[in-house]
Amino acid sequence: MGEPTAPPVPSGSTPPAAPTRGAGRLLIAVYAVFAVAAVSRAGVQLATRFHEAPLAYLLSALSGVVYVVATVSLARRGAPARRVARAAVTTELAGVLVVGTLSIVAPGDFRHPTVWSLYGIGYGFVPLLLPVAGLWWLRRTATAR
Amino acid sequence: MHAPLVVTVVTAGLVLALAGSAASLLDRSDRIADRVLLLLAGVTEAAVAVQAAVAAAGLISGHDVRSTPTFVAYLVGDAAVLPFAFAWAWADRNRWSGAVVALGGVTVAVMTGRLVMMWQGRA
Repeated sequence: MGEPTAPPVPSGSTPPAAPTRGAGRLLIAVYAVFAVAAVSRAGVQLATRFHEAPLAYLLSALSGVVYVVATVSLARRGAPARRVARAAVTTELAGVLVVGTLSIVAPGDFRHPTVWSLYGIGYGFVPLLLPVAGLWWLRRTATAR
Repeated sequence: MHAPLVVTVVTAGLVLALAGSAASLLDRSDRIADRVLLLLAGVTEAAVAVQAAVAAAGLISGHDVRSTPTFVAYLVGDAAVLPFAFAWAWADRNRWSGAVVALGGVTVAVMTGRLVMMWQGRA
């Protein structure tokens, strides 16, 4: 699903920046899909075969938590939620970059795939694009204030 | 998995995705666009429901998958996607509602693909 650079969504009439409106609703929906997918996947991995690859499965769980926090905080209004969202999305970007790189450098430790392995190749690289879109959106809605 | 049903679900999901994307790109949020998207989503959801019933019947009559709870969770999740997508998209109807529904269509298609892999014992 290509999403070309979006034309500005008119938001002048609402004084407080509302990240939940306009294209933000699509962003939050994508985050929600990843939150559910990552948490479910990690839940099954941890419950059924944790001992096979503790590192990969704990990273899976961590990515799930990050996606849940990002989804909820993006969907809420106000400055505190925005700060949490920024932290979560930044963590997510760091996670996909670090895990993506490690999975190439040390493939032995990452034979069991996580959402972030190989920069999210198993998910069409959406895990790599999503935090960039998230940070961009947070920035955009902040300047609209 | 019942092959014609799988083809129907995936095709319907992808057609819904195309229609939703088109509605957003062309900025159509009129009643006609609403009805087209609702109709396509309804057809997709009906196909998903029939597919879930047939697959559940297959499980009950003895078909083996690697993890039955995961498979059942996917069946339930697959059916829950479009209602959630529509609720979220229409709670604030705007230009991007079509894209949200499109995401739902793609998600249904992908989840159905995973269901087929699990059914064949490949995942």
